[in-house]
Amino acid sequence: MSNVLKQEAVYAVTGIVTILMLVEYFFFADTQVWAETIRTWAVIIYNISLGLGAARLLISHSARVSKKGRDWQFSGLLLGLFAIMLLTGFAGYIMTGVQTNNGIYNWMFNYIYTPLGATLYPITGFYIFSAAYRAFRARNIDAALMLIAGCFVMLKNAPVGEAIWIGFATIGNWFQFTGQVPGMRTFAIVGALGLIAYGFRALLGKERGFYAGGGE
Amino acid sequence: MAIIVEGRLMTFILMIIFFVLMYYFMSINKEQQYTIRAMPALQAIPEAVGRAAEMGRPVLWTPGISGALNNSSQGPQILAAISILEYLTEECVKAGVHLQAIVPLPDALPLIEETMRTAYLREGKPEEFNPDQITFISEQSPYLSATLGYMQRYEPASNIFVGGFYYESVVLGEAGNHIGAMQIGGTNNTHQMPFLVATCDYMLLAEELFAAGAAISQNRDMLGSIKGEDFMKVILVAITGVGFILGALNITIIADLLGM
Repeated sequence: MSNVLKQEAVYAVTGIVTILMLVEYFFFADTQVWAETIRTWAVIIYNISLGLGAARLLISHSARVSKKGRDWQFSGLLLGLFAIMLLTGFAGYIMTGVQTNNGIYNWMFNYIYTPLGATLYPITGFYIFSAAYRAFRARNIDAALMLIAGCFVMLKNAPVGEAIWIGFATIGNWFQFTGQVPGMRTFAIVGALGLIAYGFRALLGKERGFYAGGGE
Repeated sequence: MAIIVEGRLMTFILMIIFFVLMYYFMSINKEQQYTIRAMPALQAIPEAVGRAAEMGRPVLWTPGISGALNNSSQGPQILAAISILEYLTEECVKAGVHLQAIVPLPDALPLIEETMRTAYLREGKPEEFNPDQITFISEQSPYLSATLGYMQRYEPASNIFVGGFYYESVVLGEAGNHIGAMQIGGTNNTHQMPFLVATCDYMLLAEELFAAGAAISQNRDMLGSIKGEDFMKVILVAITGVGFILGALNITIIADLLGM
């Protein structure tokens, strides 16, 4: 298929899917079943892409191990763990019909993967502190106002704030639940408009990101 | 029998008005040229690449984990980020700078690879593109630790964080600051904007992310759609203002109309 035809095919599929989705959202029509089917395809394609990702990962790390490339030992470890998870998962599925019914599979997931993920999450707290320090330097009037608002919200959230003065909770609540809401909603609305405009441009074949550097 | 789903009539009418406005400015009066205000974050991209060239270090691009393409509200962010990636890749090819993309989204991976390959081709150096420039890491915690590891090992001169982010925004942004990288951020996720604003030198906020492709290309039709978007904003501000005044007078006609 020539590149031009390929591009036209992408435009056509994009247009048809968009119209189906819009009709399904706004109208009571028989196309709802079609739209539901397309959404199911999207989930299937996403999962196939995960499989492709896994295949690419295996090819890339196998090559690194066979060529003894940089940090090849880690690639070997990855391949070993990949094989163990895959085999134990399949073994559990074949024997009981449920992939998680395997002791090794469960142990590795519950006692290696989950704790490692949970360990990483709390470091966010430290980074939020250092980001707050960076943001809360009163370099100009805007930053100073943000610093004041931030202090009230911090004192509202910290138990010591209310112990010092009950008014910190009232002022902090106002900043958190009233003062910032219009600003955030403005961003939400203009962001949504930008998103629709992006979709419209993509539909007309103008957005190159949508066509991976192609398009008009 | 009702044809339109209850509560969606006005949304449909506003959407049609929006489409008509955009189409009008894109397709009518072709002689008229449009301009868009300069976006500091986009203007800073050549500077970020130049900095990397001078320091002999790579540029890191990562789109965050929230923008899976099958997610209708998050997915377009990664597509908009890919428009920026195309421009960034071209600048990197021109300057001979290594660009590393770390991607946690399997469905966007082929688009990203094709975009970078096309950019190398367009700059006349297709042989320099190496698929290893794109690292795929699935799941949030592994993606985050791999990106942090890359930053510590290779100390990129510039980090470009554009796309859909969750909590990784603050971690990546601060880690980038610790290694002294110049940083450009961009997202439409309102709950992550403050973190990127605090940690990045330049920022694309909300609709700026979606308008980036138009601003980079300076394509008349794309800029026309943004002009239509601005008119739509005026309409929405007017509706909000009138609704506010009437609401204060206990007249609920605008609220009732919007609820149709």
